Amino acid sequence: MRYFEFGILGFGTGAVIAAIALGLVVAYRASGVINFGHGAIAAYCAYSYNSLRTDGEIPIPPLPNPVAPIEGLFNVEIFNLPTFISVGDSVATIPALVIALLIAAVLGLIAHYAVFRLLRYAPVLAKVVASVGIMILLQGAIVIRYGSRAKQADRILPDDTVDWFGATLPIDRYLLLGLVILLTVGLWALFRYTAFGVATRAAAENERFATLLGVNADSQAVVSWVLASVLAGLVGVLASPIIGLTPNQLTLFIIPALGAALLGRMSSFVVAAAAGVGIGVIQSVLFLLEQNASWVPDLNIPQALPFIVIALAMILRGETLPSRGAITAGRLPEAYVPKLTRARVSAYSVLIAVSVLIVMFAPFRFRSGMNNTMVGVMLGLSLVVVTGYVGQISLMQMAVAGLGAYAVASFGTDAGLPFVVALVLAVLAATAIGAIVSLPALRTRGASLAVITLASGLAIQEFLFKHEGWFGSADTRNTDAPSLFGFEMGPNSSFPIGDGKIPSPGFGLLLIVITVLCAISVMRLRRSRLGQQMLAVRANERAAAAAGISVAGVKMSAFAISSALAGMAGAFTAFKLGQFTADSFGIFVSLSVLAFAYLGGISTVGGAVMAGTLFAEGIGIVVTEEWFNLNVQEYTAYVAGFFLILTAVYNNEGIDGFQRTQFYNLVRKIRGDRSPTPAATAEEVTA
Amino acid sequence: MSTATLQTKGLTVRFGGLLAVNDVDLDCRPGELTGLIGPNGAGKTTLIDAVTGFLPKNASGSVNFDGEEALGTAPSRLAHRGLCRTWQTLELFDDIDVRSNLEVASSRLTPMKALRDYFRGSDVDERIATTLELLNLSHVADRSPSELSQGQRKLVGVGRALVADAKLLLLDEPAAGLDRQETVWLGLQLRRIVEAGTPILMVDHDMGLVLSVSDRIHVLQFGKLIASGTPEEIRNNEQVIAAYLGASGGDE
Repeated sequence: MRYFEFGILGFGTGAVIAAIALGLVVAYRASGVINFGHGAIAAYCAYSYNSLRTDGEIPIPPLPNPVAPIEGLFNVEIFNLPTFISVGDSVATIPALVIALLIAAVLGLIAHYAVFRLLRYAPVLAKVVASVGIMILLQGAIVIRYGSRAKQADRILPDDTVDWFGATLPIDRYLLLGLVILLTVGLWALFRYTAFGVATRAAAENERFATLLGVNADSQAVVSWVLASVLAGLVGVLASPIIGLTPNQLTLFIIPALGAALLGRMSSFVVAAAAGVGIGVIQSVLFLLEQNASWVPDLNIPQALPFIVIALAMILRGETLPSRGAITAGRLPEAYVPKLTRARVSAYSVLIAVSVLIVMFAPFRFRSGMNNTMVGVMLGLSLVVVTGYVGQISLMQMAVAGLGAYAVASFGTDAGLPFVVALVLAVLAATAIGAIVSLPALRTRGASLAVITLASGLAIQEFLFKHEGWFGSADTRNTDAPSLFGFEMGPNSSFPIGDGKIPSPGFGLLLIVITVLCAISVMRLRRSRLGQQMLAVRANERAAAAAGISVAGVKMSAFAISSALAGMAGAFTAFKLGQFTADSFGIFVSLSVLAFAYLGGISTVGGAVMAGTLFAEGIGIVVTEEWFNLNVQEYTAYVAGFFLILTAVYNNEGIDGFQRTQFYNLVRKIRGDRSPTPAATAEEVTA
Repeated sequence: MSTATLQTKGLTVRFGGLLAVNDVDLDCRPGELTGLIGPNGAGKTTLIDAVTGFLPKNASGSVNFDGEEALGTAPSRLAHRGLCRTWQTLELFDDIDVRSNLEVASSRLTPMKALRDYFRGSDVDERIATTLELLNLSHVADRSPSELSQGQRKLVGVGRALVADAKLLLLDEPAAGLDRQETVWLGLQLRRIVEAGTPILMVDHDMGLVLSVSDRIHVLQFGKLIASGTPEEIRNNEQVIAAYLGASGGDE
């Protein structure tokens, strides 16, 4: 009977999962986009509603203050941008709900007009990246405005209990379930019977023909985005008292929702909603089982459930995921062949020399900033391989890095193996996990790797890192300093040259050597046969298969190599901190790693270097904070999300690609070169 | 055992209720350029898709390629066995240069080979240079395919299929989008490939091209094979004429 009660209690989370899943399906059917930011939209609305109810304030997303660097340099305050619009002390329930849903609608409109409409013909990669940007941006905005602690949520649904089916349970669970059923039936009828629905289905089938027949695919997408956002917002507001109001929780409901939507092949409302409610119910029952039944191992199984659902959905239905007959014209970011010209070799040498000087003689913050940058470069390189070269997205890089960190703590410190052996074992462990996780997604195309890695990133975080007893009960494990030939090179070890302050130059130099080796390996990879095959797979999976390339094999090797690099980065994070802590390897850190890697330039080694300077507490951030006196750290996630969207929409080659073209044009101008650009030479050849 | 390189027996492709290819028996022989023609929607491209393993769930019957059954084998494995194809829509790898386009297809990359290649550097493959020479592409080998003319792009596709040690080339509309002169030139290149020892099965709409370069021709209509024979026989076959002139079928 208790199980029945817990099952009913699961309707609360189930309804939220179902509603977000419905929104995902609506948006996918109308525009072919899997919106990873859909949970974040629900969270943003729930926060807005509560802010209106308690303080009568509408949050304004943080805007850049253009004079901030000047303020910082001269230590004056010129002006501050408003953070909230006040509409009285506290707003009544109905108006507050209406305003919150209006905000949801506006978010939907912005998502469509400012992002996905511009990416209509772009490759899947750009769309997924942009939607991850939305997720980080909104989550970051919530944290900036409301902090990351849980808040008391205002209740709309009655707080009563009812005595149905022999159990006394809160009525809101039944009401939420009813609402989801109503929404599902409504959407099903809308898409089945109305002209709007028929037109949307036609456009999804073949956008070109539908457009020729007078269907305006664009206006349908507008309606669908608004509809999807309002749905998410409504359920977010109603259910937040039950599931709790924290910036992460609703945002991360995207993961089970993705599982539910995938089970419905991103097209069936009924299956998606049923699966969503089902996940909520099963999770709730599993919680109780784990507590009560002795035969159920205490493994945090409920946390891993969404991952299992997604993996199953991919294996069972992945191949049949409907793809849109859309017209794609967008280009993928160019993966330049690294050419070692004399200019470039000298530029890299200068870069390395400056790094060496910084880690040896610069003040504390700059030194540690340089160390962070080196780790960031390795993480960036790991994404260059999997995303830049193969066009697949990994949202679990930090989870893999965490495994590397954990392994190095276990093998090196606990088991007492020498540094090099422990490092190699850690990298191998990360490689293996990365390859295994990618397995379910290998046969599917498009955004599937992004989905499965997001889910497994969370599963590793919740299931392994936070598990009592396995990965250390206190979430932390100590890591001894790395030592080579009896020479200790940890961040706190002594070093013969320099001022003897921490972090030790020895550690910094070791990091530089390892990072340079990683960078050279990735450059070599680009030139190798395997690297060519990776780019062939990225360009066209079907043609690659026909040319005798094992597409699954190439994807898996990319994933393994990428995981090895991430594992390496994780191991050095552990050395840097002197311990393994689960918090350094959370899911949102993974997302911002992708953001910075993409912003730096996802398909070149230079881009990874750029990403490293921007990454959390990297040298670029340190310089901005120290010289311009700006507090950037707090805004990192938010800004990362913003620039991620911007990069995906306007310049998918990132900063590195941008500087390459600028540099190229500049050189041409200086030389007075009038020969056509490479792109323009096609005509010449034809003639 | 037949001596044909490719022999289909009762090949049928079904999409739900639609019979796209209906019980087709056709063959391609060594040393020959075989044409496959038919009106729009006759099932020509579908047949090629089925033979090269892209329709594992829809195709039935049997396809004997080089003495072994090909149906139910993955496209990349068939490519390794020498069954290579091009697409109507080209499907080149625009991110890498023309030479690399050929290189990726030229040899099977086992994990060991990939490692050796990574640490020692790629060996120079004579065949790539020869093939580029054969197709007149040497001077553009370092460019991206996206910078080439349509005719050259078509040849990159053919070259990619050739270097994979093709035992049979399946070309889907190689002349589509080419002007008269380019088509004639393409026909000459295709004859050179066949004389050099690789048989070709070619689907095309350009009747002039197909009739002038083919040794034998198969004709499909509504998924059924309606005629097979030399260009001369096909030119005079009444059923084929009726199929192509459509309405005149009422004369019977």
